[in-house]
Amino acid sequence: MTAPLVVTRARRRRAFGSPSGYLSVALLLLFALTAVFGPMLVDKPRGLGADILQSPSAQHWFGTDDLGQDVFAQVIWGTRISMAVGVAASLIAIVIGTALGLLGAYVKRLDPFISTLVDVMLSLPLLPLMILVTALVGASATSLIVVIGLLSWAEVARLIRSNGMVVASMPYIDGAKVLGAGPLRIIGTELLPAVSPLIVVSVLLTAARAVISEAGLSFLGMGDPSSWSWGRILLNAQRSGVIATAWWQTLFPSLAILLLVLSATIAGIRYNDSRDPRTRGV
Amino acid sequence: MSEPIVTVRGLSVDFHTRDGVVKAVQDLDLDLHPSRTLALLGESGSGKSVTAQAIMGLLDSPPARITAGSVRFRGVDLLQASAAERREANGGGISMVFQDSLSALNPVYTVGGQIAELLRVRRGMSRRAAWDRAVELIDHVRIPAPARRAKDYPHQFSGGMRQRIMIALAIALEPSVLIADEPTTALDVTVQAQIMELLLDLQRENGMGLMLITHDLGVVAEVADDIAVMYAGRVVEKGGVHELFADPAHPYTRGLLRSVPRVDRADSTLWAIPGSPPNLLDLGEGCAFRERCDTAVGVCAVERPALARPVADAGSRLAACHRSEEVVHGRA
Repeated sequence: MTAPLVVTRARRRRAFGSPSGYLSVALLLLFALTAVFGPMLVDKPRGLGADILQSPSAQHWFGTDDLGQDVFAQVIWGTRISMAVGVAASLIAIVIGTALGLLGAYVKRLDPFISTLVDVMLSLPLLPLMILVTALVGASATSLIVVIGLLSWAEVARLIRSNGMVVASMPYIDGAKVLGAGPLRIIGTELLPAVSPLIVVSVLLTAARAVISEAGLSFLGMGDPSSWSWGRILLNAQRSGVIATAWWQTLFPSLAILLLVLSATIAGIRYNDSRDPRTRGV
Repeated sequence: MSEPIVTVRGLSVDFHTRDGVVKAVQDLDLDLHPSRTLALLGESGSGKSVTAQAIMGLLDSPPARITAGSVRFRGVDLLQASAAERREANGGGISMVFQDSLSALNPVYTVGGQIAELLRVRRGMSRRAAWDRAVELIDHVRIPAPARRAKDYPHQFSGGMRQRIMIALAIALEPSVLIADEPTTALDVTVQAQIMELLLDLQRENGMGLMLITHDLGVVAEVADDIAVMYAGRVVEKGGVHELFADPAHPYTRGLLRSVPRVDRADSTLWAIPGSPPNLLDLGEGCAFRERCDTAVGVCAVERPALARPVADAGSRLAACHRSEEVVHGRA
């Protein structure tokens, strides 16, 4: 019982012991806390004040927009939507991708179909497709989640399938068959635990991409018009024609996107590397 | 002798590869009797493991294809059985022990958890009862401190102990047939003896039929009742262990026995059968062993010898050699 715990602890130290490791995790935590508690601490951004288009100051840390709304408050409130869409969409993508990946890895007859489907999905131009579908179903946070989730599982499926195939040829899978285990049981209790570290990595990387997709779609006006998200702040700046002059209105939401995506990606890569003995200590 | 529990008739397995069709097993007949041990003897590539995999339904097709034959168990032909019938037979009816116990156990679960899960799923036991039974089984295969060891992971066991865990898992559903595919090959000699002894004790307790796949003649001599010698995908000689060891009727069996080093002979070099096994892609006409055979004659290149009694009063002995009568009498 003790040995795997020690291994887990050592692995965690390897993954997150370096500055890039713990900084990225700390940033992710900060974003998560902001998403949960930020709107309780910061007033909902209101417009129609006198302070319009002010540059950052002690009173308005990130400045104000053309309606006099505080950009800092918008970024804080936007964190919730951006992260919620990112996480929810990545969960949809993970569930579909893992299920199809494991089916393809284990059920040889289904593999050609699943592989072809994955290849088709990967070769589709995703952004135009997302724009089209969101425009058709109507702009809202839910439709963003569903559209992004349903269109980004292919990479997860490919990753899980290739690793599942390695596990599927292990003798202990034959061992399970010899004892009368059916395909569903083998996929659920033998293959799934073996690829679970990869699922962790995929969640992080897919969420990072989903945040970018969300920002992009919101910037293009596909987001929920009644709530803030980082992409929406950028859209407002562009719509009101101040994108060239009010640099604070575009810089801060962009920085938030950059930091969140960067930290999620680095955390994912660090975790992945820590599982590979060849990159140990890098 | 009692009725066989497993009867294999005319089993043929092909592998479809890029270079052609490999005939891994051809026209194989075997009978497994309760409380008896059948040793399937042969060198690497002779088809012994493929035979076991065909019986257990482990062959991946493609590339493997069972082209003919039947495996009857409790009146059901397992090769024609539905997936559900097959799963029902596996584990509870026929079970298997693998050579490499480290990779044959799931590394992410404790050994007790793996045995308990099997019992919960297949026997509908409660979590508690299944765990208690798992500890009992671990105790039964003579692992000290079973209650504590049940909570360990496969990599925390030594090779011999891990093989015992594999055996505990294989007998958990009380199968009537156990196939052991080179169960002791990866172990050192003293541990090998303990594992074989354990298997025989379990066999004595519950009367299961044991099929032992091995290339170890020492193990065979000690534990087997019957032997089937395989060469290039076919059984070349079959019989009881004593007659077969005393008077081999096939030159290949004779060669195998001769190549065992012995302390009571002052040989300076080890004797080995000359040449190497034939290419299974292209066996051609005639006897597959003829090119390595020291007794081959003209007919061996033209006509493949069928399994037949080497001498008229040979009982259940069979050999596939044109000159088996001379070989068994030591005249060729």
